[in-house]
Amino acid sequence: MKRRSLALRFVALFYVAVLVGAPLVLVFQRAFSPGLDSVWHSLTASDTASAIRLTLVVAAITLPLNVIFGVGASLLIVRHPSKFSRLLDTLIDVPLAISPIIIGLALELAYASNGVFGRALAHLGWQIIFSWPGIVLASAAVSLPLVSREMVPLLREIGDSQEQTAATLGAKPARIFFTITLRSVAWAAAYGATLTLARIIGEYGAVLIVSGNITNKTQTLTLDIASNFENFATQQGFAGAALLAMISIGVLIVLSLAKQRERKNYEYHD
Amino acid sequence: MSITIEKVSKSFGRDEVLRSLSLEIPTGSFTALLGPSGSGKSTLLRLIAGLTKVDSGRIWLNGVDVTDVPVRERQIGFCFQNYAPFRHLTVEKNIAYGLKVQRRGRREIASKVEELLSLVQLSDFATRYPHQLSGGQAQRMALARALAIEPRVLLLDEPFAALDAQVRGEVRTWVRKLQHDLGITTILVTHDQQEAMEVADKLVLLNKGTIEQVGPPSQMYDEPATDFVRSFLGPLTTFDGVSIRPHELELVPESASSGQVVTITDVVRLGFEVRVVVDDGADGFTWVQLTHDEALLGNYAPGQRVRLRIRRESHA
Amino acid sequence: MGWLGSSLLVTYMSLVILIPVIALVGHAFTGGLPAFWDAITQTEALDAIRLTVLVAFATAFINAIAGTAIAWVLVHDRFIGKSLLNSIIDLPFALPTVVAGITLVTLYGPYSPVHINVANSWVGIMVALLFVTLPFNVRAVQPVLESMDFSAEEAASTLGSRPLRTFIYVTLPTLVPSILSGMGLAFARAIGEFGSVVFISGNEPFHTEVASSYIFALSQDGELNSAAAVSVFLLVFALVVLGVFGFLSRRISQRIQ
Ligand SMILES: Nc1ncnc2c1ncn2[C@@H]1O[C@H](COP(=O)(O)OP(=O)(O)OP(=O)(O)O)[C@@H](O)[C@H]1O
Ligand SMILES: [Mg+2]
Repeated sequence: MKRRSLALRFVALFYVAVLVGAPLVLVFQRAFSPGLDSVWHSLTASDTASAIRLTLVVAAITLPLNVIFGVGASLLIVRHPSKFSRLLDTLIDVPLAISPIIIGLALELAYASNGVFGRALAHLGWQIIFSWPGIVLASAAVSLPLVSREMVPLLREIGDSQEQTAATLGAKPARIFFTITLRSVAWAAAYGATLTLARIIGEYGAVLIVSGNITNKTQTLTLDIASNFENFATQQGFAGAALLAMISIGVLIVLSLAKQRERKNYEYHD
Repeated sequence: MSITIEKVSKSFGRDEVLRSLSLEIPTGSFTALLGPSGSGKSTLLRLIAGLTKVDSGRIWLNGVDVTDVPVRERQIGFCFQNYAPFRHLTVEKNIAYGLKVQRRGRREIASKVEELLSLVQLSDFATRYPHQLSGGQAQRMALARALAIEPRVLLLDEPFAALDAQVRGEVRTWVRKLQHDLGITTILVTHDQQEAMEVADKLVLLNKGTIEQVGPPSQMYDEPATDFVRSFLGPLTTFDGVSIRPHELELVPESASSGQVVTITDVVRLGFEVRVVVDDGADGFTWVQLTHDEALLGNYAPGQRVRLRIRRESHA
Repeated sequence: MGWLGSSLLVTYMSLVILIPVIALVGHAFTGGLPAFWDAITQTEALDAIRLTVLVAFATAFINAIAGTAIAWVLVHDRFIGKSLLNSIIDLPFALPTVVAGITLVTLYGPYSPVHINVANSWVGIMVALLFVTLPFNVRAVQPVLESMDFSAEEAASTLGSRPLRTFIYVTLPTLVPSILSGMGLAFARAIGEFGSVVFISGNEPFHTEVASSYIFALSQDGELNSAAAVSVFLLVFALVVLGVFGFLSRRISQRIQ
């Protein structure tokens, strides 16, 4: 028994090391082996700097939109059942089952200036595809369910008796929302928001299609990394990749903290 | 504060939960709302609180029609079965919630909270979070939170259901005393008839969305209006084809002049009471409730033949 | 929540996902069923779909075994660094696919520092898919193992069963539903995967081109209707597979109880 479980431990460790550990080490090794100066140069080169800027702008627009949407949708689904909420409930998880490439393609078909919807928008002078609004739409689509997936089960589990008690104590709906509902799902919402942010920053396929991949213009950091890598600016590509890898590690840390806090707050006595 | 319910009906979809129900609850009374599961007790309580809207009928508090007044303006203290503690707030902040909503001054809130904490005996637990409390403590916190807004009416939905028998008895006595001291009109939902008879000065028995009987506990026990009330409020057995309370029967020696001859099949001791099951050969099994002393005197054992008859005292 | 709030939510979701999906389906069938059929039965399309499905299946299968073993180690074993192992499992969830893609091809491609070259082959594609789907398999099984009632397992081992037999006959059957649902998620993800695969696969039509790369190539060539047709096929396929795995997992867990 002992020997066999020891063997299993090493198989598991080896598998994870080869598949996940080694790539992680390699990213940092490739990025940092030429020295910090070189990393700095790579990240401040005009294309990468502009890609980072665009990524931040897209995240700054998309994250709040999707968090507000996710919180609102969860409340509608759990607390206000109706035709609307059932529609939301069925459609909201769809993006998780679709390839990002297909999401990108679908957005292009809908919003390109020769597309169904895009033509009307083009008449108004709004360019969606091959421009930043398209990137925002793509990021929003791929990360759409991430907040509500965390919140819906928690809201169901908590039930609405706390909210109703607050109402008997004289609180108005807005006050109940901010002091009870939001407070009791805050960590789940934070968890979902962190996942959303990670997904927005890291999205590649969907953004590749809708952005047109124009250097210095519509390239996000992931696109910039890919094109540097393909154009033999490997060093620069890995500098960006290391930046994203560090963000991912940060995300994982935040997620595990949020999980811990959530557990602590909602442990029931019985 | 009196409560008047006038021809209130409520359906969920095609499910008619309350049917044109009328009820009068006098100021300062402690009423127990009793009935089988699904009879509409919680629904009635929620309608009084305003947590659910009536389909038709009116509800009056102290002569004022509150049917269309929202929950938050009814000033009703409500306790859920699961206590619904605000899990992210400490005990004192839970209690202070309603006072903050009323925009009371900080000093006033602090002193009021302190007063309530000592009233519900939680002064040492002020800074704990709900998950650090026992069931009984959480229950008392929920009561204090409801009492903080000086409610005109206190509505308790199965407040003791989650407590074990021992704690349950303690909290029950304590709530009874608290209600008595504060004189606040209280309605308590329960499906435990013993609990209802113990704490309340008035019982309301609901069945399938209508009221079976209303009255003081002793009256309802002794003079049940229907068979349903009779069977709900205490144990029943059958003797000579009629239902009867098992303590209204007695056993006498086979040599006695009156009574039906039966065979004892089982003797069960339940603390001070003893339950003797007998077989009359024809109707089937009947059981008799005796006191410990009576059982000792008769020295009953299975297989023994005795006579069963209606107690003399209950005739007198 | 007001009527205004609900309509804003539905509008947002329509803009972001509903209208695009409708446009996609519309384009897939603009030429009618024959055109749709034509698009998905092109040799290049069929090859890409076949490759994707086969490799995705192999991936789901291998990771079902590896993921279950890893979950078992995480739950039952004790050693220094276990919590590191536990946290690194989630990395593929958080790491952008493009980072995984360029890293895997650097590590296991023609310039491999460890002299393993699986680039431009289905093995390379599988390595990328194994990487991105590992967390699905581990995290589906782990909580079930954690909450499992070990009295049955312990009873079996005191009765003299060998540990391996105990695992196969006692533990494994109760794990099957969660293993299946993990496989379903992994498979659906693998079928649509793009970023982590394109760099190591080489994208050679008929040989190492996966379905999502094929769709991308079509869209770059302006063959939007064909791209939409293959997309719709792939999408329906993924939903069906998810449904089948979910159904199997529910059925089996019902039978166990
Ligand atoms: N929100 C609701 N939607 C639909 N049906 C409901 C709702 N609330 C209650 N009901 C139904 O109304 C009936 C009465 O429910 P209620 O909760 O009032 O019963 P109760 O007497 O409190 O029972 P218990 O003792 O089990 O708590 C039940 O049949 C229940 O299914
Ligand atoms: Mg009830």
